[in-house]
Amino acid sequence: MNAGRVARRRAGWGLALVAVAVLVTAVLVGVAPAQTQAPAQEPAYRQFPVLGSRLAVWAVAQLHLNFAAFILGCPIFAVIIEIVGWRLRDERYDWLAHEFVKLTFAAFSTTALLGALLLFLFVGYYPRFWSYMTGIFYPTYWVYALLFFAETFIVYLWYYGWDWLAGPRKWIHVSLGVLSNLVGTAILFVANAWVTFMVSPGGVDEAGRVTSLWAAINNFTWMPINIHRLIANIVFGGTIAAAYAAFRFLSARTDEERARYDWMGYVGNFVALSAFIVLPFAGYWLGFEIYQFNQTMGITMMGGFMSWLWIVQAILIGVLFLGSNYYLWLGMERIPGSERYRKFMPPMLLVLTVGFLIWATPRSMVVTFEEARAMGGTHHPFLGVFGVMSAKNTVVNLMILTTFLSWVLYRRANRVSTKPWVRTGMAVQWVVFALAAAAVVAIGVLGYYVESGVRVLRLSPLQVLVVLIAIVVVMAIDIPMFRGARSTGAIRWGTIAPRSQYVLILLAVTFTWLMGLMGFARSGIRQHWHVYGLLRDTSPDAVTPALGYAANVITVVTIVFFALVAFIFWLGGLAERGRAEAAGHAAPAIAGGREG
Amino acid sequence: MRLPVGVKAAIFTLIVMGLYTYFANSIPQIESRPPQELSLEGGNVTPAQLVKAGEEIFKTKGTCEVCHRIGQKGTRAPDLAGIGGRAGTRKPGTSGKAYLIESLVNPNAYVVEGYPPIMPAVDRPPIGLNRSEVWALTAYLQSLGGTVDVTLADIPATVGAGGAAGGPTAAEVKLPGDPKAGKAVFTGKGGCMACHKAGDVPGTPVGPDLSQIARIQTPDYIMRKILDPKGMGTVSGYPAGVMPQTFGQTLTAKEYTDLVAFLLTLK
Repeated sequence: MNAGRVARRRAGWGLALVAVAVLVTAVLVGVAPAQTQAPAQEPAYRQFPVLGSRLAVWAVAQLHLNFAAFILGCPIFAVIIEIVGWRLRDERYDWLAHEFVKLTFAAFSTTALLGALLLFLFVGYYPRFWSYMTGIFYPTYWVYALLFFAETFIVYLWYYGWDWLAGPRKWIHVSLGVLSNLVGTAILFVANAWVTFMVSPGGVDEAGRVTSLWAAINNFTWMPINIHRLIANIVFGGTIAAAYAAFRFLSARTDEERARYDWMGYVGNFVALSAFIVLPFAGYWLGFEIYQFNQTMGITMMGGFMSWLWIVQAILIGVLFLGSNYYLWLGMERIPGSERYRKFMPPMLLVLTVGFLIWATPRSMVVTFEEARAMGGTHHPFLGVFGVMSAKNTVVNLMILTTFLSWVLYRRANRVSTKPWVRTGMAVQWVVFALAAAAVVAIGVLGYYVESGVRVLRLSPLQVLVVLIAIVVVMAIDIPMFRGARSTGAIRWGTIAPRSQYVLILLAVTFTWLMGLMGFARSGIRQHWHVYGLLRDTSPDAVTPALGYAANVITVVTIVFFALVAFIFWLGGLAERGRAEAAGHAAPAIAGGREG
Repeated sequence: MRLPVGVKAAIFTLIVMGLYTYFANSIPQIESRPPQELSLEGGNVTPAQLVKAGEEIFKTKGTCEVCHRIGQKGTRAPDLAGIGGRAGTRKPGTSGKAYLIESLVNPNAYVVEGYPPIMPAVDRPPIGLNRSEVWALTAYLQSLGGTVDVTLADIPATVGAGGAAGGPTAAEVKLPGDPKAGKAVFTGKGGCMACHKAGDVPGTPVGPDLSQIARIQTPDYIMRKILDPKGMGTVSGYPAGVMPQTFGQTLTAKEYTDLVAFLLTLK
């Protein structure tokens, strides 16, 4: 069968699936107001067979979120890469952008189907809750449905119009990519309004009646979650795309193929890492807003039954930091001239390892009764000092600075600046790094001697500001300093150690697992409330489970997610086989190409 | 045999996730259970029972302990050591119990200098204590350096409106303890079965058989006996000074309440 016809048939199926999902949404939206008029006839809950309703909703919601994050995050950097390729007239980037959109495209209909399934579960098993939410957010459902239509058609046009809108009409094609991202972001924002309302409701009176739809949407955690998810989606999309490239690299039969997927993995990881560096700042803002909304909720989240969750999170993020840096260091081995920077790796590894250990140090130790008595409590006299926010914020900022340094060294690995002021420029950069690190440590130490309010509201943001200023200043010097730099040799794409590709897989798995954990945290801080303080969970599932149970669920969901992703990518590969070449998307040669 | 890349990647992925899962299962496992309703309306409850119930609410449903410490200065909220004694001196013309009740249901009416006005009204969601629970909590706060004299009538009828609906009636006292968990304390951490038989729980006859303790003793006696066995005297025919005096320190408030709840089932 002709490859083009296969692709068109796939597109038809995809469109049909999305249309069904949106239609179902629209029908249910229409039915929902009738339900709110006769709540007495509806049971508050129904029990999902075998698994139970909560577990069913949890698993499907997390799967939907994973796919949604991928299809929203991947196009953001796909369009950036496309713009880079367009402006530099570099075919490699155009091919890569097309590859990324292809991956997104394959996951599109699965995301819509999972969304529809989630809706069925809510309507069927949590009818009272769903009626309540509908009573408030009914108008936004239409916006969501319309945006979804728009997104679907724009992405289809973007993907299928790749060749049609090439050449002088490329700007139209790029605009479609930008537009699809704007619409995708709007979809994310609408869905976030529902989710964040459950955590930090606003725009309702004490009885839960809506007083202002806009206030319900623009609740305390809406914008922080919007920003946090937007950035996290880019990281997620980047790590998944990089893992895909890693798999293709490891399966490659030719050097050319290896070079291509080595480069793709590098770009995916680079995008992920760039977004990842700022993610903790967005997370801090989100936590801050939760405290602003309700102190009790904030304290329960950080110091109550969820306190150990943050230790697990620290370990996962520590793995991400260490993995990202290790990948960069391995990547430098394929860059001629990078040998001069090897000496920086041991101290950077030391900072990252110590930072990791401090971040993962719990405030209260797991000890026996006798040990606690000997220590005079569950706080260790020495290690306990590292279990508080002052220490953790400090090391996180130092780890971000270190990762940024890794990337700066990677960036200049095969370049020698020809500017006459290079010595001064580099000296200033090192001074900026040193001053930033010293300031972060000093502010961290000061944090032990002030009230929590001062630490949370002033010192922690100050630490973040110092790091951001350092990044901006270093880059402001670096970019002009290495403009027109002399090359010490082209990057030998494809010669990177195969273990580096397992690091990319590790990053994707860890970030996906982390997303599941954070989903549990966001949902779990509501405890026994569907909508915090307004609509109580009176179902048999009202207990918020312990971390072990949550971890088991997250692992199973992550396995299912990766199995589905592998299957979808395989299907996508079947349909695309031979088509790219026929349509002019032949993969460009990468090995020995220009430095990336 | 060379494994296909897909198999190797899958094994690697499973190992990574397995390690995360193992670690998450190795650390303290804490569930968050919905709080139980306590109803004392119309009940014949002693001050000691009231204080004990209030302490439990302080530490659990009330979430007071999240910010307030007793005997330790906090940065979020004042130290409550001695609050029962000094409450009457905080606002001129306001009695101690009135001040405490106001602090619970209208916390921003008077904020202690140097602290932010962050306390939520305890009778409103999400804490949502009912009238009985506010009563018990006030009694507990009074017990911290003062005299417990608050009555249910002192708590405004508007507090936690409807909070007692569906709760126990008549003279039944319901403590927020879990008899099943209490049985585990009895046979486990408390070590009670080393000396006492209790219904279907076997025990050596070093101490009295507790199989009908709830029928022959009051809840107040049982609660006090656990905390102060020497002060409550020794049952005739049994050796004195054997029962440990340390349960007040070794048992948590929850374990203590659970243990009492279990003993109150022995009729």
